[in-house]
Amino acid sequence: MIRDLLRILKLWRSRTGWLVAGLVLSIAALAAGVGLMADSGVTIATAVASGVLFAPAALRGLGTARVVLRYAERLATHAATFRALADLRVWFFRRLAHGSAGGLGFRQAGDVLARMVGDIEALDGLYIRIIVPLAGAVLLLPALLILIGWRTPWLAIAIGVLFVLGAFLLPWRAARAAAGSGARLATASGALRVAVLDGLTGLREVRAFAAEGRTLAAVQAREAALLAAQHDLARRTALAGAGAFLCAQGAVLAVLIAAGANPAGAVAAAFLVVAAFEAVGGLPRAGALAGHAAAAARRVLAITDAPDPVPDPATPAPMPAGAAIRFEAVHFRWLPDRPPVFDGLALDIPQGSRVALLGPSGAGKSTLAALLLKVAAPQQGRVVLGGTDLADLAADEVRARIAWLSQSTHLFDDTIRRNLLLARPDADEDALWAALDAAQIGETVRALPDQLDTWVGEGGHRFSGGQGRRLALARALLAEAPILILDEPAAGLDADTERDFLTTLNGVAEGRTVILIAHRLTGVERLDRIWRLSGGKAVAAAA
Amino acid sequence: MRREQAQGRRAARPVVAFAVLGTLLAVGQAGCAALVLADALHGAGSELWPLLAGFAIFALLRAGLVYASERAAFAAGAAARRRLRTDALSRLLAAGPALLRRHHSADLTAVVVDRIEAVDGLFARWMPAATVAVIGPIPVLIAAGWADPVAGLVLLLCGLAVPVIMAAAGIGAAVASRRQFLALSRLQARFVDRIRGIATIVLYRRAEAEAAALSQAADELGRRTMRVLRVAFLSSAGLDVATAVALVVLAVRYGMALLAGQLASPAIALFVLLLVPEFFAPLRSFAAAYQDRLHATGAAEALIDLPPLPEPAPAREIRTVAAQGVTVAFEDVRLVWDPARGPALDGLTFRVPAGETLILAGPSGAGKSTVIEILLGFVRPDSGRVTINGADITDLVPQALSRLTAWIGQRPVLFAGSIRDNIRFARPEASDAEVEEAAGAARVDRFSDKLPEGLDTRIGEGGYGLSGGQAQRVAIARAYLKNAPLLLLDEPTAHLDPATEAEVLDSLRRLALGRTVILASHAAAAHAFGGRRLDLRAGRAAAAARGAA
Repeated sequence: MIRDLLRILKLWRSRTGWLVAGLVLSIAALAAGVGLMADSGVTIATAVASGVLFAPAALRGLGTARVVLRYAERLATHAATFRALADLRVWFFRRLAHGSAGGLGFRQAGDVLARMVGDIEALDGLYIRIIVPLAGAVLLLPALLILIGWRTPWLAIAIGVLFVLGAFLLPWRAARAAAGSGARLATASGALRVAVLDGLTGLREVRAFAAEGRTLAAVQAREAALLAAQHDLARRTALAGAGAFLCAQGAVLAVLIAAGANPAGAVAAAFLVVAAFEAVGGLPRAGALAGHAAAAARRVLAITDAPDPVPDPATPAPMPAGAAIRFEAVHFRWLPDRPPVFDGLALDIPQGSRVALLGPSGAGKSTLAALLLKVAAPQQGRVVLGGTDLADLAADEVRARIAWLSQSTHLFDDTIRRNLLLARPDADEDALWAALDAAQIGETVRALPDQLDTWVGEGGHRFSGGQGRRLALARALLAEAPILILDEPAAGLDADTERDFLTTLNGVAEGRTVILIAHRLTGVERLDRIWRLSGGKAVAAAA
Repeated sequence: MRREQAQGRRAARPVVAFAVLGTLLAVGQAGCAALVLADALHGAGSELWPLLAGFAIFALLRAGLVYASERAAFAAGAAARRRLRTDALSRLLAAGPALLRRHHSADLTAVVVDRIEAVDGLFARWMPAATVAVIGPIPVLIAAGWADPVAGLVLLLCGLAVPVIMAAAGIGAAVASRRQFLALSRLQARFVDRIRGIATIVLYRRAEAEAAALSQAADELGRRTMRVLRVAFLSSAGLDVATAVALVVLAVRYGMALLAGQLASPAIALFVLLLVPEFFAPLRSFAAAYQDRLHATGAAEALIDLPPLPEPAPAREIRTVAAQGVTVAFEDVRLVWDPARGPALDGLTFRVPAGETLILAGPSGAGKSTVIEILLGFVRPDSGRVTINGADITDLVPQALSRLTAWIGQRPVLFAGSIRDNIRFARPEASDAEVEEAAGAARVDRFSDKLPEGLDTRIGEGGYGLSGGQAQRVAIARAYLKNAPLLLLDEPTAHLDPATEAEVLDSLRRLALGRTVILASHAAAAHAFGGRRLDLRAGRAAAAARGAA
């Protein structure tokens, strides 16, 4: 648990200055706060005991210091957090991009991605809500022991034990409980998500079978399970919180019992103890948070530790001039325990031809695209591009030759212009319009008040499914790659829109190699050649 | 949302009560502690056990309250989430399939699952804290004022100064920080968006550029946010100033008074000083809960955008229609989905007698699916009449309409669960034998027998993936199990390869025997069914002719 969190902390090495500054200021502010309380006690005690007004100036100084230090601490810790979190996100993005990203796209693991984002967010409170108060507690302990112990050692020991219990042991238990119930919580919230998604994706079925009541009841049952898991965790955290509170009270009681031995010291000690325990009162909650964060850190690290499925060759071969594609006796399976997707696949796609690859779901149509894009590599056989084995080429350069369009091609929550420029950052205005016109969406975009600067919304939801697919097509065309892979580009569209879209495809990409991957043809496609995938092999079919 | 807040405040009452009770006990503890310490300072050595015992008992009670109040806070948040989630999902279910034309089901799911989880802090922490911040300090103030009126006045002034300082430092900053918070959540959304589309980014070789852009955007936002926080934290500093001033003023006052011998016992001084942290504690919790409020407000706004619940159905008498032999008629039906694209149905009239089959043919956009969707009750015609056995379809309650119709669309949605559960979805009260009979009739058993657990094999999310043809057979089994007199088929083989299509059509033909059937389909499927053919063009009947059987 600790090791995972430490690895996350190591990512923040470049921000050490800010993080340490935040910690130092926080501890100084804590010292001033505790000092202020203790000094108030001392003032009273000495006034009574020795008839001297001790330290009002120090009191004023501590008061000012406390306010100023607290302000500085808040600024420094927040500044540090912003930087550290930004670093973590960018680091995660990079690791994901260089690792399993392509595979995730091909396996359409939207839910997995959503969970990963949630895990990253769970690490947000790591510095400000866990590390900073914990560091304060670590320094408070010896301070308490010394300040109280040099007069009454046994009292210091009693208070020290209570402090360790309240500030470290109980939060630790809360952390363990949270880490343990994390799996249960994740399962319960996953089940809830599936139930809701099922009901909403199947709104037509639900209405047709008058199943509204049943669907609602199913979701409520999953929600009840989630709430029960959360309730259990909340109960344990509350118990730890109450325990820590009792420790604080026990410490004050100990001071009161010992008051007779050293009255003046006792007054100061009472105020000191009240302030010190108040400062660490939030730690059980922070402990629960740490348990969550550790579980999240473990999952995040597991994802980023996954090796790059297709590492680039040490010295990539120069890119060939041609764009003919040949699969030679390719054997491939995604995982060792899964049945093979390709079992001796042989396929020839001449440069500039328009071919279709057909087959039922599970026949490996999308896997073929994954192999071409170097998201996966064959276990046996080879894929040859323009006469050179793909394995000898750099993935980036291969991808520069191939534009890929599928139903999972993502439209970013950004403007149309910036979505298009992703494919070719240096494209000028005319090139953008040419691509939009080729995809037959140019007129629609011209009619929008903001034209190219129209925001497409999350996942392109401001546009209809067909329009969104056309925008993605325009982007693929803009890439000017000699090979265009269309991986079920019309899936999820209604029959009419699908036909319109496929008709549009006939007129675009003259001179490029076009590979259309589909489960069936609608009859409107213009093709040179048709391959049918079955049993892990490709069989030529009549065009 | 207003009604929700009222309910939320009611649910927060126990939390508030526990907090106030806890404050009262804290006052009692401060009294005990002050007396014990004063006694020690005087060296009186009187019997202190009752005071120490009182302190301990109060401490135990307060610990109980801490525990109870956290549980009550959880209960308040859980109750609110339960209420909001049921409400949101009910609204979405009531709005029905038409929603999917405008929204992606994943986005709607995010609202029902994640946004509602995010509202928790508003009900569990912010609402109680907001009330406690006002009520909580009052008993402390009264106790301090009773012990020493001047001290009460000092606390009152410092307490009142907190909102004043906060307002002076924070009004502009609060607005700015809310805007900043929005910018922060937008950056968060951007990160999520880029992660979702990471395959697209990688395949366009833009990973480094995007990483750099993300990093730059985050840095810039961080810098701008810090500018705002520099002002916003002044209001938190206001609370610190008030606390420190109260402590310093009171400590100095009592120090001097004791020195001058104006104070008979240090007990009062100690009592008041010990109360100072208690006085400001509710205000500190309030400031801490403000973050929860900001987090929840954005989420709550998404809930307001949900479609409203429909008015409860008018108390019209429920028409029941004889289930055997259903006759369907359209009379001059018009419907416009989107004014920009013209009418989907433009005065359509036809009649299907009981037990006959009507084939809707025509190019895409001719209105075939719209006919089916009207008969399923997904949408109401703008004008004209649609009748089933002479009864207007708009007079039928959804349950009655559902009993009459079975529907097979282009791609059936299969739910997470076993194949058996998915078939039984059509009629939850069906026995196992009936489900198996339906599975046999639809030829589901031909592939389920080869699966490790037969009909009990899990499919859907996290389960076994069925091919399009297999899924369509599960849908046919649902229709068999439901055994409704009107069968609506909307391009049921549009996504199947020819071999599978032939098998599915064979199953459908057997299912169609003796039922009234309306089939919207392309040529191949239409040939498989004998029946009257109606060609649609732009929402009108182009020509009616007897189809070849």
